[in-house]
Amino acid sequence: MSSKSLTLRNISKKFGSVLALDNFNLEVGVGELVALLGPSGCGKTTALRVVAGLENQDSGKVLVGETDLSQTPAHKRNMGMVFQAYSLFPNLTVEENVTFGLQMRKVSKHLRKKKAEELLELVGLPTHSQRFTFQLSGGQQQRVALARALAFEPEILLLDEPLSALDAQVRVNLREEIRRLQLSLGTTTLFVTHDQEEAMAISDRVGVMSHGKLEQIDTPDTLYNKPATSFVASFVGTMNYIPAELKDGHVEIFGKKIPALKNANAAGAVFALIRPESISVNSDSRDHNAKVLTRLFMGPSSNIVCQTNDGTIIQSLMSSIETGDLHPGSTVKLEVLNKEVLVSNA
Amino acid sequence: MATAMKRRLDAPLIITLFVLSLFVFAPMISAFEYSVRTPLKGGYGWDQYTWALKEEEFLHYLLRSGWLAAVTVLITLLVLVPTLTWLHLSQSKVRPLIDGLALLPLVIPVVAFAVGAQISFPEVMQNTVFELPFLYFILALPYAYRSLDIGLNAIPLKTLTEAARSAGANWFWTINSIIIPVIRGAVMATVALTFALSLGEYTLTVLLHWDTFPTWITYVAQDNILGAIAISMMSLIIPFLILTGITLVIPERSAKGRK
Repeated sequence: MSSKSLTLRNISKKFGSVLALDNFNLEVGVGELVALLGPSGCGKTTALRVVAGLENQDSGKVLVGETDLSQTPAHKRNMGMVFQAYSLFPNLTVEENVTFGLQMRKVSKHLRKKKAEELLELVGLPTHSQRFTFQLSGGQQQRVALARALAFEPEILLLDEPLSALDAQVRVNLREEIRRLQLSLGTTTLFVTHDQEEAMAISDRVGVMSHGKLEQIDTPDTLYNKPATSFVASFVGTMNYIPAELKDGHVEIFGKKIPALKNANAAGAVFALIRPESISVNSDSRDHNAKVLTRLFMGPSSNIVCQTNDGTIIQSLMSSIETGDLHPGSTVKLEVLNKEVLVSNA
Repeated sequence: MATAMKRRLDAPLIITLFVLSLFVFAPMISAFEYSVRTPLKGGYGWDQYTWALKEEEFLHYLLRSGWLAAVTVLITLLVLVPTLTWLHLSQSKVRPLIDGLALLPLVIPVVAFAVGAQISFPEVMQNTVFELPFLYFILALPYAYRSLDIGLNAIPLKTLTEAARSAGANWFWTINSIIIPVIRGAVMATVALTFALSLGEYTLTVLLHWDTFPTWITYVAQDNILGAIAISMMSLIIPFLILTGITLVIPERSAKGRK
């Protein structure tokens, strides 16, 4: 596999008056899987399409390795792509679909057949080579699309929300297969999704986009635990915004003084950003500071929504075993488990 | 109950189909019956058909009209498939205008067309019979355009095109190996419509002083009306057989064909 790094340098793209990409920069290392995550219209798909050559950037460069592909037409970029919509060619069999890219590269029939067998085996469809697309389920179609994108050994693999049209269970299975294949083949991959769980689950790094720019790009752990901006904090996972006073680099929440991670030199009214799993709800304590509004049972864990005495709504995520005795109206004591907290301006 | 309802629904459908079939086939059957009459001997026979087949000009004009129609089909596909693909993909603002322009040949009188062709075509073209396919193409444009437009509307053109291009296909291969096979039904309808229209075109051909199969039939009709009808019947059957042959020879690769 001749995988290479991918660099997007100062890419800008406008659609009419809408700025889809605003001086966008991204680096994806050799063999790395980077996900672009963001709300609808943030520019993530545009970035992917610019890389693929399906959209021309107004300015900036697309580099694969050291080669500038900014002006290279899509069919000469040697990038495999899997689309959100089912994109198999209905006039071709599964095998012909998989080998389409090889046929365009004038690879011999014998080698094409061998490659198709190899790839269909890899995606778990070894007996489907002579079938037509209408004979396949949605998940199977996307597996074939993945095999087609990988067949000609692309330098870069581009995944444009390939799982969004599939059922929940198929999505989970297929995303794991994508990761397994990507790791075993070592293909540099750019993956666009609006599903943060998907992005976190299979990516080496996740880039969160907003208004055509990268807000933060980091490992899933860092992104979740140390979001660089309040947008990232609010977009990735669920976040409680608890009003607090910042003084001497500390905030006091539910009577506990905790060091603040950012703006430690600032002072005044701020919001402390705390994940639901970092808040514990204790019904045994006599020192109550909130009451339970709802308890959402989600199997292994439960989501407890409480209202503090000053009216703030707080979400807590706890093991269902620990929260069995909590009911709407129960008075409880909330505690913060963090050793340090992020703060944002009120 | 479901069967009873189906029967009730089927009755109007059957009646409509019967009336329509009568409307289409009754004149043809009558013409055929007339063409096999043998007034001198009485009764019926194939005299007019054997006479027509022995006429040297029969094959000459049939082949001429055949290849003119084939060239027209080629021009139509070469011009319309890439143009319509581009119009659909680009979501161009000029598309409604082009949709309208494609209908214009329906309202422009053929006489105006012929005069226009004489004025606007380069002289080199006017002196060869090659001017006819270009004009037939324009006459067939409203039908060919609609047929291909419907075919392209029915498929996820953007996704298929992008999938083909990202897999390494240039525009020629994308259109040739993906788009045309996927809209095969619409392409075949376009071929049939254009071929039939070109083969039977009379007014424009006469106005431009060319002789083709339909003009020869008119010439024959002046002396031998039964023979002319026999030739007309054959001109109906022969293209039908050719087009059926083409449909059968080109392998059906679409998903529906394998059901």
